[in-house]
Amino acid sequence: MKSTQALVLVFLALLFTWVGQVALGFFQVGKMEPILNEETNYPTPPVPSGLAQTGARVFASEGCLECHSLSVRGPSGSADLNRGWGPRRSVPRDYLFREPALIGQSRIGSDLSNIGLRMPESKDLLMHLYNPRQRNHNSTCPPHPWLFDSRVAGPILEKDALSLPTQDWNQLLPSYQAKALVAYLQSLRTDYPLPEAPLK
Amino acid sequence: MMNSLTPSACKANSSAGILLIGSVSWALLGAGLQVLGTLQLLVPSLAYLLPIPWIGYGHIAPLVSFLFTYGWISSGFLGVLLILIPRISGIPFRYGRLLSSAAILWQFAVLVGMAEILWNGSNGLLCLPFSRSVTALFFLSFLILGTGLTRGLGRSWKSGPLLPRLYLLGALIAFPLGLGTAELLLRGSLAPGALQIIMQFVWHSFLHHLWLTPLALVLLFQLLPALTGRPASSLSLGLLSWIATITLSGWVGNSLASEGPMPSWLQSAGVIATLLLGIAVLGNTLLLKPLLEGKWEECRRQVSLRFFAVGFWSYFASYAWLAFLALPGVRQTTTFTMVGQGTQALLIFSFYGNVLAGAIYALLPASRTIGWPSHPALIFHFWFTTLGAALLASAYALAGIFQGLALNDPGVPMTTISSYLRPFLVVVLAGQLCWWVGQLAFSSIFFASLLKLFPSVAPVAIFPASREVPNHPLHPLHH
Repeated sequence: MKSTQALVLVFLALLFTWVGQVALGFFQVGKMEPILNEETNYPTPPVPSGLAQTGARVFASEGCLECHSLSVRGPSGSADLNRGWGPRRSVPRDYLFREPALIGQSRIGSDLSNIGLRMPESKDLLMHLYNPRQRNHNSTCPPHPWLFDSRVAGPILEKDALSLPTQDWNQLLPSYQAKALVAYLQSLRTDYPLPEAPLK
Repeated sequence: MMNSLTPSACKANSSAGILLIGSVSWALLGAGLQVLGTLQLLVPSLAYLLPIPWIGYGHIAPLVSFLFTYGWISSGFLGVLLILIPRISGIPFRYGRLLSSAAILWQFAVLVGMAEILWNGSNGLLCLPFSRSVTALFFLSFLILGTGLTRGLGRSWKSGPLLPRLYLLGALIAFPLGLGTAELLLRGSLAPGALQIIMQFVWHSFLHHLWLTPLALVLLFQLLPALTGRPASSLSLGLLSWIATITLSGWVGNSLASEGPMPSWLQSAGVIATLLLGIAVLGNTLLLKPLLEGKWEECRRQVSLRFFAVGFWSYFASYAWLAFLALPGVRQTTTFTMVGQGTQALLIFSFYGNVLAGAIYALLPASRTIGWPSHPALIFHFWFTTLGAALLASAYALAGIFQGLALNDPGVPMTTISSYLRPFLVVVLAGQLCWWVGQLAFSSIFFASLLKLFPSVAPVAIFPASREVPNHPLHPLHH
């Protein structure tokens, strides 16, 4: 085999791989559009707020994906729905406005595709971030105290302050990053129907 | 064979030295951090005692993966290839300083990437956990090193075995194509939503199966015949396996996903490609296995041959394991489990790691006119790294299977699953410690040999039990 023949073969083989996945993927998934709800005029999936989009970056940088996934599988061959991780399976359209779009690799912790549905209160999420063992004594999730600021409290705790026993008149306030992360987690919910994945 | 050696090609090559020194150092650092990460998984209370963000599991886990793929293996393979290629082509490198600058640039990229992941955390992208500036550094370094490696390849095309050249050609085209596409699509607005996830799996496949695996195969197909004195038998089978490897490897990553954002046809294509790739791997196994037959005594004596033998069988085991995981039913159970880490351990520590170690033992004396000492550290290196890799891969795989089965039972709470994983994580930790000790032993010999601190007994590394000093088929003195 001549070197030019080998070069052509390598190019063709890699082109086949590239076109088959990236180009076809682009036409199938990359051109996908949201479904417009004619009554409310809101798109589904909903567009996350700017704060939630910032929170997606915090979620990635804190390494939450090392233990949590972001994809609910259907009933065939998995118990994701029975575990209550979502009202339906995840489909490509769910990831339309996610930037970066991530699904994770391991489930040492639970799937978070619908954490906004399962834990809607920001206080609960903030408490979990500060000390996961406050709610669940056996939690293996690491704490994230660096996402909170300790400040001297006045006679009354501020609205955002964590309801924990305080020392030396201090209160624990979530930083901007913690608020963004909570906004992102609250935005993770798939309780809207899609033509390819209706709610049952 | 390696009979086209020229004295000019045997000149000390500082760029290869920089890449290899970097490779050994990153491996040591990665192994230490890996132990720290597993300790945190095993004893979650540690995170409460030491709540420091940059040494948390969320930062350490992607960093370790980055250090091993880009720092240790990629850097090491490039280093040994810079020694090997001018020798098989008979055309020495020019612009040595430019190549050395590129080698330094690669190390700098790893350093910047490491600092970014430590301080800012990963960006979450699979196999691309760093910023665009780090990609630019890798790209620039690769362009120079890749140009150096391909120089003279065309002119010397027929002067040696064909298969290593073919795999090298495939790898050198696949790396920039994959990295460039991933960078453009994952960080721009060109790939919205689920397309980003597809692209991450494509890049994962390119990085492992179209870049690192072909480079390891270059070394196996070039050095095993040279060390054993037997050529690979069937060129047509080799060509068939090569074209199948290059065509199918880019699809393997899709078989790791199960439902979710990946279109189902793409997942099916991934499964078919992985199963068919198993046949290509079988073809390569049939070609390489006869080279080692009846060479038991030489494998016992020669360090590099023993590492190559383990690396070769790990190649077969890795892809047989991947094919098994792609089977329907198995895939659904093992997705999102530690089986993925087991596969990574098998590929990185057993396959790439052993081939790299074998290549360093075989090629470094040939390029730098140094010899290896016959030192107990050689035994430590082999047994501790082999035992460590075996423990790691098997413990992760078993943990993942239990994890998958438990996840499929909705009656088992997540905290119970975490407690199931604990005994396996103890074995994983033991494996990581073993591997680290083995790597420390190798580093001590590597650096001491570079500095000529030990009296060398032979150009080819031999285990201390043997008193015989064999000729080295790659060493200039032998010719």
